Amino acid sequence: MIVIDKICYSSGLRGVNAGEKMAFSVMTLLFCVVSRNAAVALAVFFGNTVLTLWKGRTPWKQYARLLLIPAAFVLLSTAAILVNFSRVPLDAFAVPIGEYYITGSRRSLALCIRLILTALSAASSLYFLSLSTPVTDILQVLQRLRCPTLLVELMLLTYRFIFVLAETAAAMTTAQQSRLGNRNFKTSVRSFGALGSMLFIRAVKRSARIYDAMESRCYDGKLRVLRESIPPKGAEIAGIILWGLVLFGVFMGSVLL
Amino acid sequence: MSRKQKALIMLALAAAMTFGVMPSASAMHIMEGYLPPTACVLWGVLCLPFLAAGFLSIRNRLNDNKRALPLLAVSGAFIFVISSLKIPSVTGSCSHMTGTGLGAILFGPFAVSVLGVIVLLFQAVLLAHGGLTTLGANIFSMAIAGPFVSYGIYLLCRKFRVNRKVGVFLAASVGDLFTYCVTSLQLAAAYPSEQGGIAASAIKFLGVFAPTQVPLAVIEGLLTVVIVIALESYAKPELKCVGYYKEEAKRS
Repeated sequence: MIVIDKICYSSGLRGVNAGEKMAFSVMTLLFCVVSRNAAVALAVFFGNTVLTLWKGRTPWKQYARLLLIPAAFVLLSTAAILVNFSRVPLDAFAVPIGEYYITGSRRSLALCIRLILTALSAASSLYFLSLSTPVTDILQVLQRLRCPTLLVELMLLTYRFIFVLAETAAAMTTAQQSRLGNRNFKTSVRSFGALGSMLFIRAVKRSARIYDAMESRCYDGKLRVLRESIPPKGAEIAGIILWGLVLFGVFMGSVLL
Repeated sequence: MSRKQKALIMLALAAAMTFGVMPSASAMHIMEGYLPPTACVLWGVLCLPFLAAGFLSIRNRLNDNKRALPLLAVSGAFIFVISSLKIPSVTGSCSHMTGTGLGAILFGPFAVSVLGVIVLLFQAVLLAHGGLTTLGANIFSMAIAGPFVSYGIYLLCRKFRVNRKVGVFLAASVGDLFTYCVTSLQLAAAYPSEQGGIAASAIKFLGVFAPTQVPLAVIEGLLTVVIVIALESYAKPELKCVGYYKEEAKRS
């Protein structure tokens, strides 16, 4: 149903301490975004991809498909940065249209290439986290980082409900499809309206039932679940620090050269 | 055919293929790592007052009535699921609702701002739409600017006794368009054009995203009307639960 969720539960890195994975992902992310350096971006992308595919045993097809999700955004907005309309041609390329030119400069071309690399490797950092760590583990780390309990609780419940509602919605969609509910634009608009409103009704009813169930089990504003504790390992922490130093070295090297 | 013409045709073909193949689903979530660090921090800080207000309003509501917690969670999940469903489209491309207008009308803009944070975080982690560093910018455009404008228009239409369907349609579609304008401005402010600065850059971003976003706004408005009308006709008790009718009674 939700592909990433399915993959992360069976990831080879599932048994690693969630805090470590989060620290690694945030560290590489910050290296990418703050340095905005092509060499660092390539190194980060390489590191994340190797870890996700080799250690995490994520199917590479799924990984490639995920990397393509933001492709439309990247293409459109990079085009918007690169292309200029002006009366004077710039140095990289210029296509004349009447009195004007569709044109771009070398500087912005370089900027765009760097930007695409940065964004792609930042996305790989995010995917490393989301393909190896289930949301519940992330929420536990957030809790330990003193995120307000109310917010964490709300997120946990929301996460649970997403699957319940998504399942309901999928069943409704199947029912509508099998009754030619999406035959043309008009029927599909009507079907979508019915789906949305029914989903809302089911959701509210279910929340009332769930509250009753929770209250009958002594719910007092805090869900207590038994935590699986995976202690951090020294070798892994050392590895993360080492990788941080390597990335810093790459950055310094590429700036000095 | 000259070489230049051939190249132009190939380019157009490639562009057409990309649009045909790629889902334009996440086109308005700013991608992970796309904004410079200063912009990430700036938009994050700008969101804070709204989020604090939303958080406090939720906490007060929960102190009155604990039953509201699963209700809020379900509302968040509802926005997430609604925005992940494939919506009917004329061209056959695959696109999604943002759900912000519907959320603002049903749950009010303050609740939506907090729910929006959760939804956007889950969209980044579970669906790979948007990202962690760009979370601040995305929250500002989708969970704050859009819903508040939607809600404002909705209230105005109510006040001037505009036809209900028209009011809901305007609220949802203008809110959607506003989100798209804010995102374009955010991108433009981060990457001003070499000639003409931020203004020229904003026009370019607006133009580039218009083909996907303008039809989407119209469809989103249409669907929101259909859903709200259906809800009003056979979900009165549920709507009362989320506070939809209470506010109406207070106002009139």
